[in-house]
Amino acid sequence: MRPLTEEESKTVFTKLANYIGKNLVHLIDRQDEPHCFRLQKDRVFYVSESSMRLAISVARPNLISLGTCFGKFTKSGKFKLHITALDYLAQYAKYKVWIKPNGEMPFLYGNHVLKAHLGRITEDTPEHQGVVVYSMNDTPLGFGVTARSTVDTRKLDPTAIIVFHQADVGEYLRDEETLF
Amino acid sequence: MDVSDILAAHQAKQKAVLVEKDIPLEVDAGFLTVTDLNPIDTESYEADLEEYLMSTARDGVQTLIASLFSLPTISTDDGPLAQLPPPTTQLPRAKPLPKPKPPTKWEQFAKAKGIQKKRRDKKVWNEEKQEWVDRWGWKGANKDKEVQWLTEVPANADVDFDPAKAARDERKARVAKNEKQRSANLARAAAAGSSSDDRKKTIDRTLAVTRTSTASLGKFDRKLDGEKPLKGVKRKFEPTETSASKEKSQNLAIISKLDKEPMAKKSKKSSDSSGDVLNVRKAIRSASKGKGSAALAREGASKGGKGKKGKR
Repeated sequence: MRPLTEEESKTVFTKLANYIGKNLVHLIDRQDEPHCFRLQKDRVFYVSESSMRLAISVARPNLISLGTCFGKFTKSGKFKLHITALDYLAQYAKYKVWIKPNGEMPFLYGNHVLKAHLGRITEDTPEHQGVVVYSMNDTPLGFGVTARSTVDTRKLDPTAIIVFHQADVGEYLRDEETLF
Repeated sequence: MDVSDILAAHQAKQKAVLVEKDIPLEVDAGFLTVTDLNPIDTESYEADLEEYLMSTARDGVQTLIASLFSLPTISTDDGPLAQLPPPTTQLPRAKPLPKPKPPTKWEQFAKAKGIQKKRRDKKVWNEEKQEWVDRWGWKGANKDKEVQWLTEVPANADVDFDPAKAARDERKARVAKNEKQRSANLARAAAAGSSSDDRKKTIDRTLAVTRTSTASLGKFDRKLDGEKPLKGVKRKFEPTETSASKEKSQNLAIISKLDKEPMAKKSKKSSDSSGDVLNVRKAIRSASKGKGSAALAREGASKGGKGKKGKR
């Protein structure tokens, strides 16, 4: 377990900022308890300072997880967000997409969001913007990246993809072995 | 009168001064060193270690001091000083032997022809002055022709022929030729001594040095595409238990830096996505000759005024 280097922090923050924008400051500058990012076996954990200090005494091979796993670094140095980060993303999300009940299951099986399933979308969402996907009763289901800006979606046919799937809560079941 | 006590005391004194060992101690007075090659006496070593070490050391020092007193001395204000002989112990060289220099072109030629090297005297005899003068250098013999008061001029010489200058030019040409040959020899030696691997290594090293030779030691330099991270640089991580407030301020600094970057990217993107062939910013810059849009507007207004005047 170690803190992120500046380069790594930059990669993580750029990725997070794609979803939560300036709200990223609230993750770092927290009122209740100081939290920090820690790297353990390529995985980035968002952890309170007290539990981080407890985890220091655990040997590296024995430490499986701590705090909240935000994602992992790929071998090529890119950062990939995991579904476990959804709680924080949903809390601070800047752009949101709500999907109709008939689109929930397809999304939870790992498919992209089609225009037919689109319930609501935040106004003026740009293209290739990270968005959090909610069900119509405001339950966060996952997150993805918009294929078109809000304005462009109006002209599309119902089968066109609106949001590219990135992670959904179905992964808790599907990727149970590798997720944590 | 019984002198046995005195004799015994004297003998004891002598015993303390003389050191007797199975293998005699090796003394190198030049280095002020004594080497004791005797095996350790296990019994006394185990019985009392401190006592044993003390006695061994004492014997060594005693021998050394005895050898010092046998050396020739000179008397000084501070008392007699022993003159140490040159050291006898051979110490290894600190540096490896220098590599033999590659032969110059002349040396190769001389070897092929079997020409023996002759050392020329640095001085030559001057008949007129009746003294030895340097062959070259300050008031050297090679400048004789330039300083002599009378010079023979060839019959077909020009009107403005300056014999002193001609001699000097000739000498300077010889110096230049020698210098050229010397540098050619150096270049040839460098080319022969370095393989392509060596050259690659040198270039890599130079590159590594240049990358850290900026004001920020390479920290804030723009990275080029496909630039590999420096080899042999150890990664340094912050300690895991840094204070949370310090880490927070570092992270906030990174975020504020990130905030600036996407702005630039966004503006670029917006101009790209709008599909404009014309880059407005660039166009304004070139039209106003780098003065900006405000200057362009001012100029346009003044021109307009002139135009009106012209019409009237």
